[in-house]
Amino acid sequence: MGRESHKMKALSLLRSRICDPKFVFKPLHDSPDSNYSKLKFMISSSITEACNNSILLLGPRGSGKSAVLELVVGDLLVEYPDMISVIKLSGLLHSDDNCALKEVARQLCMEHQLQFSKAASFDDNSQFMVAMLKECGLAHKTIVFILDEFDQFAQGKQRLLYSLLDAMQSITSQAVVIGISCRLDADQLLEKRVRSRFSHRKLLFLPPSTEDSKRILEQVLSLPVDSSFPHDYAVEFNRKVQDILEDRRFKETFNKYLNLDSSIKHLLRFLFCAVSCMDLQTGFLTYENFETAFSSILRQPKLECLKNCSILELYILVCMKRLEVKEQTLCNFNSIMKEYKNVHDSFQTSDYYARNVCLRAFEHLINRELICFTDSRGYGSSVEFRPVKLLISSAELHQGLKAYHSCPAILHKLMDREG
Amino acid sequence: MAETPSKSLRSPTKCKQQSHLDANSSPSVNPVTPQSVAPRRSTRRKLLAFDSVDPQKPLNCIDELCEHPSKAPNKDKARERRNLNRSRRSIDYAEEPCKGKVTTRRNRTRENVSIGKAHKKESNSGSAKCPTSTPRGETSKRRNDKDSDSAKVPIAPVSPDQSETKKRKRIDERRVVTRAMVARSRKSEKGQKSNVLPKRRVYYKKVVYDGGEFEVGDDVYVKRREETDSDNEFPEVEECRLCFSSGDDVMIECDDCLGGFHLKCLTPPLKDVPEGDWICGFCEARKIGRDVGFPMPPEGKKLVRTLREKLLSSDLWAAHIESMWKEGDGTYCCRVRWYVIPEETAIGRQPHNLKRELYRTNDFADIEMESIIRHCFVMTPKEFAKANEGDDIFFCEYEYDVHWHAFKRLAEIDNDNEVGEESDSDEDWNHCKESDFDTDDDVEYDAENTKDSRPQSSSNHAPAANLRKGQFFGLQKIGTKKIPQFIRNHKQTDIERAKAMLLLASLPKSLPCRNKEMEEITSFVKGAICDDQCLGRCLYIHGVPGTGKTMSVLSVMRSLRSEVDAGTIRPYCFVEINGLKLASPENIYRVIYEALNGHRVSWKKALHLLNERFVEGKKSGEKADQPCILLIDELDLLVTRNQSVLYNILDWPTKPHSKLIVIGIANTMDLPEKLLPRISSRMGIQRLCFGPYNYQQLQEIISSRLKGIDVFEKQAIEFASRKVAAISGDARRALEICRRAAEIADYRIKKLHSNSDLAASGKGLVAMADVEAAIQEMFQAPHIQVMKSCSRLGKIVLTAMVHELYKTGMGETTFEKLAMTVSCLCTSNGEVFPGYDTLLQVGCRLGESRILLCEAGSKHRLQKLQLNFPSDDVAFALRNCKDLPWLAKYLV
Repeated sequence: MGRESHKMKALSLLRSRICDPKFVFKPLHDSPDSNYSKLKFMISSSITEACNNSILLLGPRGSGKSAVLELVVGDLLVEYPDMISVIKLSGLLHSDDNCALKEVARQLCMEHQLQFSKAASFDDNSQFMVAMLKECGLAHKTIVFILDEFDQFAQGKQRLLYSLLDAMQSITSQAVVIGISCRLDADQLLEKRVRSRFSHRKLLFLPPSTEDSKRILEQVLSLPVDSSFPHDYAVEFNRKVQDILEDRRFKETFNKYLNLDSSIKHLLRFLFCAVSCMDLQTGFLTYENFETAFSSILRQPKLECLKNCSILELYILVCMKRLEVKEQTLCNFNSIMKEYKNVHDSFQTSDYYARNVCLRAFEHLINRELICFTDSRGYGSSVEFRPVKLLISSAELHQGLKAYHSCPAILHKLMDREG
Repeated sequence: MAETPSKSLRSPTKCKQQSHLDANSSPSVNPVTPQSVAPRRSTRRKLLAFDSVDPQKPLNCIDELCEHPSKAPNKDKARERRNLNRSRRSIDYAEEPCKGKVTTRRNRTRENVSIGKAHKKESNSGSAKCPTSTPRGETSKRRNDKDSDSAKVPIAPVSPDQSETKKRKRIDERRVVTRAMVARSRKSEKGQKSNVLPKRRVYYKKVVYDGGEFEVGDDVYVKRREETDSDNEFPEVEECRLCFSSGDDVMIECDDCLGGFHLKCLTPPLKDVPEGDWICGFCEARKIGRDVGFPMPPEGKKLVRTLREKLLSSDLWAAHIESMWKEGDGTYCCRVRWYVIPEETAIGRQPHNLKRELYRTNDFADIEMESIIRHCFVMTPKEFAKANEGDDIFFCEYEYDVHWHAFKRLAEIDNDNEVGEESDSDEDWNHCKESDFDTDDDVEYDAENTKDSRPQSSSNHAPAANLRKGQFFGLQKIGTKKIPQFIRNHKQTDIERAKAMLLLASLPKSLPCRNKEMEEITSFVKGAICDDQCLGRCLYIHGVPGTGKTMSVLSVMRSLRSEVDAGTIRPYCFVEINGLKLASPENIYRVIYEALNGHRVSWKKALHLLNERFVEGKKSGEKADQPCILLIDELDLLVTRNQSVLYNILDWPTKPHSKLIVIGIANTMDLPEKLLPRISSRMGIQRLCFGPYNYQQLQEIISSRLKGIDVFEKQAIEFASRKVAAISGDARRALEICRRAAEIADYRIKKLHSNSDLAASGKGLVAMADVEAAIQEMFQAPHIQVMKSCSRLGKIVLTAMVHELYKTGMGETTFEKLAMTVSCLCTSNGEVFPGYDTLLQVGCRLGESRILLCEAGSKHRLQKLQLNFPSDDVAFALRNCKDLPWLAKYLV
């Protein structure tokens, strides 16, 4: 029983580690070149020196922008208690200037225990924000605005950004605006008068190198030896993990996985899947766990779709492909049916279905997004007459047919042969 | 007045003339009665209602007290002693002051209310027509009134049209009593006095009282109680702690105990005052732990404490004079704002507090000039750093909120310029007015959460903070409970100072390089104001962002403002609007109207009223006669579909009686041309172009800010300014680059050399490399780095994109073609083709960070893709890739 609980504990420890950005990102912070220390320096210097800054955090998704920022803000809140108020906005929610300002006012009120009114107008809110910036500046309080999905704020007239950045031009205010965006050209989206007021600090977040990824892997997966875990269990666990990491097959899989996307988040998802597959009977990770994780994450949805298609549906797809080869760019259900009939006539296939059955199959294909309407217009007209296109490339179709067990030989022939 | 014969009241006649105005005007010497102003709106009627409550009662009260106001303190002495003890104790127990204060306030207000009633009655029947209360909505306007009043007659004692009665209500409370406690008996004396005396109250800017010359805005010592005999003398000169004589010799002050020592009395004697901090031998010994006493004075000579010592041991008070006036009975009173010493705050003295530090409070009181001893000098940090003589110098950097026990930095502007002093930061005026207003409403103060400065204590629910009805509520709550220590103790390094100077927010002392433009604006505005009829006055200013358009106009307005104060040009009102801060273009009417008249109405109503004013020439109120200057920033934002807003605004100046001058600022040069002809003919006549700065100008701007701080390499500044001049000529950019460069250098020094001595010595210039890095960061998209570090498949996809581009010459490709290319590349180079769906994912990821432009992934093989950056960049980034050396051959 005791042993069982150890295994459970080990599993939950690993899982909590993977989900905790602190644990993952902490070790990367020591060097002065890390984004963590740079960002922390920037924010803390604007707290201590009472100046305004605006910073952009750029980088592909999953590279840890928000996580590092959270870490920094958390640390600074501890370091300078009562001196920072954090306002968080998300571009997906607050891209409308009006509601963004309202949200800013609401959060400011919450932060300082003031009464908030929903009825306040845009002017009121923006003036309130300016007044708060001034007051907080005088009281040595820094307001940190975190604008997630920054590019969304850069749409329209950019009133929010303008009034925010313009208010920061005054000596008494003390604020940091941090934009987070995965668009590398986020600052180019700003209008020129807004851009002129933006202070253009940029931090670039890049996915870790392969070596770093390996280090993270090792660090996350190894159990602490001197802890509540039985010593021999922990040692054994770590040894097994080491073995897996050294395994040639594992390395191959791992590299294949990272080839697709080397960001940290992607890596963590892989680990989480693998750890979740851990066998509680033995209580150790095995190579198979990683293999399962790999195959469960990297799927080929289109090919899998093909596997589930009926023979008739495959016929329809093949017919469409043939039409395409004939350079008949536009086709609809009727022209497909014509082709289907042609095929049937010339090859005398055994599967010939009635038109209404074909229509059902056709609709089914549309629902599975293997084919789609070419234009979004014409909702009114019936399905049969709307032009459609194939959403699967011929190579994939070919591959899919090969993988299909009970695929009629005639279909292969049809695929290969023209006309 | 028998008790204090020495205090002859010579003041009004000696009132100092401010030379440049009418030197001949003797009337200014005489107290001028307050100008009678037309009764103002409804509040007055409201007051009338109160008056029915027995007007006679206060009259019957003690007469002799009023006759000898200076006696009163003596009578109360016993109580005051108690009070003193109380307040002393309160320093020890943090809880105490709260309670004490609250209860007092309640007492006081009750008293005020009853007095107020009497006054109200009086003010109605009396001759003075001063409006008795300030409608809240009018505060802003009133402020203007006040300003312009003083601008018109700077010499004559100013009589702001504030309610006299209310002012007087509080006169006595604070006279000699502790700040915390109020003697009850004052009430009767009080009300009585105002009834008996004629209702004239004369305001002065400067009073000579008991040999001292006091001016509004001065800082003074205030008596705390009737001094015991021993303490009654106020030595002007401090005595040496060793020889107990003052003498003419140079004295040095210990930075720890603040004791004064003659240079010659020290052992060993000092020749000169040493640089930096100096601590006397006694304090040093004490620090080591020895118990050393100061030498006792010789027999028969008493140790005389200076005022400074008394103040710092809270036997005296310091206060800031806000206004001064003469009561009808000839007593001189003034309204003061208290200073407190750190020990008197809720948190007590902090380790970072300086010895001579005071806090300004938001606590006001009316006191008699009688209790003022003499000047002290409370200085801002900057002034304090310069001042090194005299004992009555104090340091004040923070304001202390007595209600919330919170600290707040003083806005520097308050003390810096004359203008700010006069209107003394909006807040202050509101404070006093609203606190007066409260008592009118006859509201019982709630012990816990009432505040003097809350204007709407009568309403049942607490008002929302972000709803503005002339004022935001609850902002006074904000303030640190404790001033963080590191801010005070922090010594700025050179680089940090440079960074502070390069902040966009910090206003430079001079604005180089825009003299010509500023002259032009000045002459335009002056010409417009001075004309009797300003016809069609409109100036369009254009230029790229960051060329100092708004700043120049504002600085011109500031200098004109001071000219108005000096009386050389006519007063005008100035309205500043930013187009981008309006919720909609139509809102501009509302904003203009509110700025001019102080009322908030809907924009349609506002348009109607403004039309009345500017088109039909209907003037309501005395202020409407003044010319009005309207500054509209970001003018292009006001363009609506039918352009009616712009048309209306630009049409007003052409009307004969409008007296409106419009200054529009925008970025585009050809904005007038883009508009309807009828608008461009009104706007496009007078234009002023702010060209982008060239590199010399930028260099001058930067180096003028960095004067005296030697952290930048000379070429570094030049490099930055040349770079910016070549790209945009935006001064903000140039400053930001330099600041960023300084930051990078700072970071480099602090982090990389943290263990070496380099950091400590503060050495290390901002070098070219830092500027280069800053420029890189600002102007370069980081795409090359991202491409270099993206995943293996990503690189292959990018290469395939470039290859496809070279092959077909078409920028755009579809996913199907791309996939074909990728599979070709993979098979011919021994890579595993990952499959279409994976490839699609990779493409979409690249699309997210905008390295590729692509359509939604659901389009699958029909998805269109395009490189967002030049193919050369991709080639440059991927040519030397170590993992995939074969990429290079497809990239040429």
